[in-house]
Amino acid sequence: MSRDAMIDEWYPVGLLSQLLPEGRETLLMGETIRVSLGADGRAKVATTAGHPLPVTERYGHVWSSLGQPARPLFDIPEAEHPGRRLVDVGVVRVRCSPLRAVENFLDIAHFPFVHTDILGAEPHTEVESYKVEIREEADEVWATQVKFYQPQAAKSASGGITTEYMYRVPAPTCSVLYKTCPPRPGEWDVITLFVQPLTEELCDVWPWMALYDDDTPMTDLIHFQQMIFLQDRSILENQIPRRLPLDPGMEIPTRADLTSVAYRRWLKRHGFTYGAQLVAQ
Amino acid sequence: MTSPSPVLYDYILSPSCYKARLMAALAGVRLALRPVDFHPGVEHRGPELLALNPAGSIPILVAPDADGDLILTESAAILVYLASKAAPAFLGSGKPAESARIQQWLAFSARLTASLGGARLHEMLHRPGDLAGLRASGIAALRELEAALFEQRLKGEAFLVGNRPTVADIACFPYVALAPDGGVSLDAYPSIRLWMRAVRALEGFIEMPGIHRLHELKPDPHEAPATAEA
Amino acid sequence: MMPLESALVWTPVALSADLPAASVIPARLADAALAVWRAQDGTVSAVADRCPHRGMRLSHGFVRGEALSCIYHGWRYGKSGRCLAIPAHPALTPPETIRVATYRAAERDGIVWVTASQEAGAVPAHDGFLGLRSVTVAASPARLAASLGGTLDGSVIDGTIGGVTARLLLASSGEEGVLLVHLLIASGAADAGKIAASRALEGLRRQAETATITGEAA
Repeated sequence: MSRDAMIDEWYPVGLLSQLLPEGRETLLMGETIRVSLGADGRAKVATTAGHPLPVTERYGHVWSSLGQPARPLFDIPEAEHPGRRLVDVGVVRVRCSPLRAVENFLDIAHFPFVHTDILGAEPHTEVESYKVEIREEADEVWATQVKFYQPQAAKSASGGITTEYMYRVPAPTCSVLYKTCPPRPGEWDVITLFVQPLTEELCDVWPWMALYDDDTPMTDLIHFQQMIFLQDRSILENQIPRRLPLDPGMEIPTRADLTSVAYRRWLKRHGFTYGAQLVAQ
Repeated sequence: MTSPSPVLYDYILSPSCYKARLMAALAGVRLALRPVDFHPGVEHRGPELLALNPAGSIPILVAPDADGDLILTESAAILVYLASKAAPAFLGSGKPAESARIQQWLAFSARLTASLGGARLHEMLHRPGDLAGLRASGIAALRELEAALFEQRLKGEAFLVGNRPTVADIACFPYVALAPDGGVSLDAYPSIRLWMRAVRALEGFIEMPGIHRLHELKPDPHEAPATAEA
Repeated sequence: MMPLESALVWTPVALSADLPAASVIPARLADAALAVWRAQDGTVSAVADRCPHRGMRLSHGFVRGEALSCIYHGWRYGKSGRCLAIPAHPALTPPETIRVATYRAAERDGIVWVTASQEAGAVPAHDGFLGLRSVTVAASPARLAASLGGTLDGSVIDGTIGGVTARLLLASSGEEGVLLVHLLIASGAADAGKIAASRALEGLRRQAETATITGEAA
């Protein structure tokens, strides 16, 4: 619909570990931009006309914006705790709305059917009630006390357990998932989905993780998360319409979808409609 | 004493690595998986893997053998090796025509890798390539496969060579099933659809991301029997 | 000659043999994407290819017994289109308002027919023919008829293919400039004739598509 309200937000545009002096071209909300490594060792982002764009380096990624971000990139305080392993999962391109990609990440009810025997399995399909709120002060969507049965909750998990999650949407195309951490009871693993909107119907998805897991080889951690996301990709590319419908009536949510309902309401309230469909077509 | 498992240098999203995993699963061979950071790490181009396979590709299978380690870097050869070791029925009956037809499909599978696989890498992982050309050659290969599978159906045969699966099916299945990842639709190929269903329904079949479980093989767990109501 | 009015409202979407029991396939009407499915008991149903929950294509779903389920969240739909179960809430009986749009579906001469019309009359008859193969062809009906050397009447081409009497039924593939073509041949044809017709169909497609690309007059 419109990129006006979203233009001043931060978006991921590359991995810090993969910056090259010659740079690489990519798209941000329809604009071609170049992401490169400056002579000072810092990331540089510019339009093709050479106009420099704002840059933040954080959470393994380069962040930029076509507008003027009014505030710094959101915090993930837990990610800075010592002892966590930070995992650059890489990038996967998906032919879908960036908002649909985030909404799918907020959903647990699909686990038994899409991530079968890994994140969920029949007959354990029930989604118990959980809490959803828009935290006004931080201006973020939060879902807490989300519980779901998982046959293999993470690379380090063996056997079925009930896993608890918290979901957080701090920016229109980013979500942070906190998940119980089998090796460290009482702590939460951090799994994020950072989505770069290339256009309203095409996105690059950069998952990133900050985990308490000293044993699993890094490559196994990367493969696990890539596997999970690629199982979602064929769903995301086959949802109709491609854009996320923000008007009620086009799709039918249930109690299990309260996070998605709050996310859509929050998007609409802010006019975050790049990748959304407002009027039923 | 059992010999140690063959080691597969593996990437979870690689359809060629999946061929080896699938064949091993169907044949009941235990593989020791050695995950390779293909993306984003480009580990397959690093010194350790180039020493094993100068072509810089995966899968690589390292199998202990009487004459020392056997190193295989072509997926068709890996399939033939695993089948020969543990499931010779996947090599067909040994009749000349049958063996030759299996070889024909193993060679054909390389075209699927180049075309549909190339389109997939382009669409998913940003690899450069002439997308329109890759898709067109992929569609040409799918049409050949569809016509051949239709003739198999006329003979009452569900698989590429005969009425039981062979390495030919395992070699062709992954890149075909994942064609939509590269933006090539499978809607127009009814015989391919039936064949994929037959492969996915095989005892011991395993998935890879992008190929969902055939949930219809299991009854609905919530379909309560009428007697349970009262 | 088939009655033209029924040809206008009933669309041949697939061959019966390509839709085994307990399976679902994608299909097209000119202006709608469909999921066509066959229940375990053999009944064929057609619904809009979109789960009303989150828009996922139902043709990616699965059939258990007498119901079609969405692959995304497992929402289950009966033959009437009504939602029967939502796995996230196993104890809930879904309200009657949750349903997927249905179309009339019927089978005749080995062909699955679908219509969006409630008034559509009898399913078109192609007595003496049997559906053999469905393919897509990137050519116009006139070009395809010219390549076959057959006669085009509405969405039907009659002619001979691979030495076998044949009829082509044309329908929308959903893609601009691409036809869905069902090849029907004489119902008594032997396997050798079927193979000849199938191979000749490949040749016909090559010829019609090449002529389309080179701009040869139809």
